[in-house]
Amino acid sequence: MKRTWWIVIGAMLLGVPLVAQGKPLTVTGIRDVTFGAVLPGVPRVVLRTDPANSGQFDIKGPKGNVLLSFVFPLSMTGPAGALMPLSFGAGDAGFSQTQAIGSQVGFDPKQPFTATLSNSGRGSVFLGATANPATNQRAGAYTATIILNVTVLP
Amino acid sequence: MRSITKLSLVVAALVLTGTALQAQSNNASITATASVQTPINVVGAQQLNFGNVFPGVNKTVAAMDLANAGRFDISGQASTPVTLSFTLPATLGSSGNTMPIVNYAGVHAQNSTQTGGIGFSPSAGASPSLNASGQLWVWIAAQVQPATNQAAGVYTGSIVMTVVY
Repeated sequence: MKRTWWIVIGAMLLGVPLVAQGKPLTVTGIRDVTFGAVLPGVPRVVLRTDPANSGQFDIKGPKGNVLLSFVFPLSMTGPAGALMPLSFGAGDAGFSQTQAIGSQVGFDPKQPFTATLSNSGRGSVFLGATANPATNQRAGAYTATIILNVTVLP
Repeated sequence: MRSITKLSLVVAALVLTGTALQAQSNNASITATASVQTPINVVGAQQLNFGNVFPGVNKTVAAMDLANAGRFDISGQASTPVTLSFTLPATLGSSGNTMPIVNYAGVHAQNSTQTGGIGFSPSAGASPSLNASGQLWVWIAAQVQPATNQAAGVYTGSIVMTVVY
């Protein structure tokens, strides 16, 4: 019986190294999507290749595949709860193993996407979007939160 | 033998548990931000007024006629260009009778006195800018051409101006 417990403990210890063998996964929001000044009735597009205004997330983790999925708001919220529609096109997201905005692979941010982190376990996600103000859009500052979920794939 | 089987199951379960725990997830958020500027507001401030018109005698109101030219007052985002377009009636009407209205002319200015105003053709539209206070004034003029047998009465028509950024 004593020997049995030693084997169980050994197995537990075996399980722990399996968990710890990869780097921990971290996701960091680096840059907001910035539309700047928007005129009522005039859609404002931010491209994922825009180095100043596109959104950016950096990912660190074990090298290999990760699954990316976004949680998007339908609109931005402004003064007194005013809403302004926000949309994301099929090519509005890009992934870069080298974390360079100039070398992205585009993907549809509304669909889960499998990306491969670099050998050093890094990657960046860039994001563009379109703000669609109504002709009578209330003036003021508008904001919305965009979430990127990342899961390490076996 | 039976205890070895049990033990094997426990070990396998623990190893599998360890493997399952490898599926790491994490997330982060960023913010989308925008600053919406002042919406455009347009007011039809003054009617285009031809006054008394006599049959067979054309009458013109000039765009510089501050008392009788039609006037639109626009407000919006300061120092921002806008595009003006118009829907212009070809006739004025009165109880089923019509009277041609032609030769539309316009002036836009960044003040209400037309100082520095710029003439334009309303049928072609224009692209002026709002002034530093976000204001613009537009005057519309035209000519009516009553027939010699034009029925007496009050004739009206609607001129619509659309302003967009």
